Amino acid sequence: MKSHFNKLEEIDRKRNPFKVPDNYFARLNEEIMNHLPEKEIVPPRTVPFWDKVKPWVYMAAMFVGLYITIQFLTRQADNDNVASRQSVVQIQESYWSTVQVTEEEFYQYLEEQLVEEGYFDYMYDQYYLN
Amino acid sequence: MEMNNEETLLEALRNPHTIRQGFADLVAAYSERLYWQIRKMVLSHDDANDILQDVFVKAWTNLENFRGDAKLTTWLYRIAINESITFLNKKRSQNNISIDEDDSFLINVLESDDYFDGDEAALQLQKAILTLPEKQRLVFQMKYFDEMKYDEMSEILGTSVGALKASYHHAVKKIEKFLGEED
Repeated sequence: MKSHFNKLEEIDRKRNPFKVPDNYFARLNEEIMNHLPEKEIVPPRTVPFWDKVKPWVYMAAMFVGLYITIQFLTRQADNDNVASRQSVVQIQESYWSTVQVTEEEFYQYLEEQLVEEGYFDYMYDQYYLN
Repeated sequence: MEMNNEETLLEALRNPHTIRQGFADLVAAYSERLYWQIRKMVLSHDDANDILQDVFVKAWTNLENFRGDAKLTTWLYRIAINESITFLNKKRSQNNISIDEDDSFLINVLESDDYFDGDEAALQLQKAILTLPEKQRLVFQMKYFDEMKYDEMSEILGTSVGALKASYHHAVKKIEKFLGEED
């Protein structure tokens, strides 16, 4: 194996067995440059003002839309509550206007019934005497 | 090329008004090194010359894709090696050479090339190199002839330094054996 190694060492690695035509490297660079295709010079793209602000305008519009929607929905909910309260009052008022007795007369009647049936005495016995 | 020079070159290549001059500087800096790399792979001067032209055309048209992750040298070497491998694959296919066979057919190319004037020992060495697998051959040529550092080789070939050292070691052993048998 040592003799093989010596064999490789015997070869002068610095002596280049490959040759090139005369003045090859002197002409090479020019030849390469002449072979290059033309490169289209693309000027730096100028971004129009609208394109720059467009994302911000869209975002602002989205928030405004969201705000208006929320406002509309919450107001609608308030209105519904007020309307439902008003409708209860209106039903009560319309009820007393249709019956023959007044509201005071009705409560007076209920109280009399309770007295008559001994309800108050019963409640008194339940809570105070026991 | 020094790092400062490379940065100056990159600046020139990024500016549309100086790109052509910058590229001329790049060609002047690397054309000879790349030529020898290609020549040692494909052996024939005419083929090496054609491939080198293609390498620079490819570099020129893909300049916008160079992101500066690697050094310019590394990038150019990779293009040169890939182009040479593609060329050799075509040659193998034209000569009906299977993937398992060595590239001994290239020795005919070498012997018929007017620009090879090596003695018998140089010819035997080239024959021995052609018996190596492609990657080992590349590593051997880069190390033995160009004395390239393993770190630089590792960047170009994308292989670890350890694997490259092992490859070179195997290549030297095979070449020694071949030369011993030919004796």
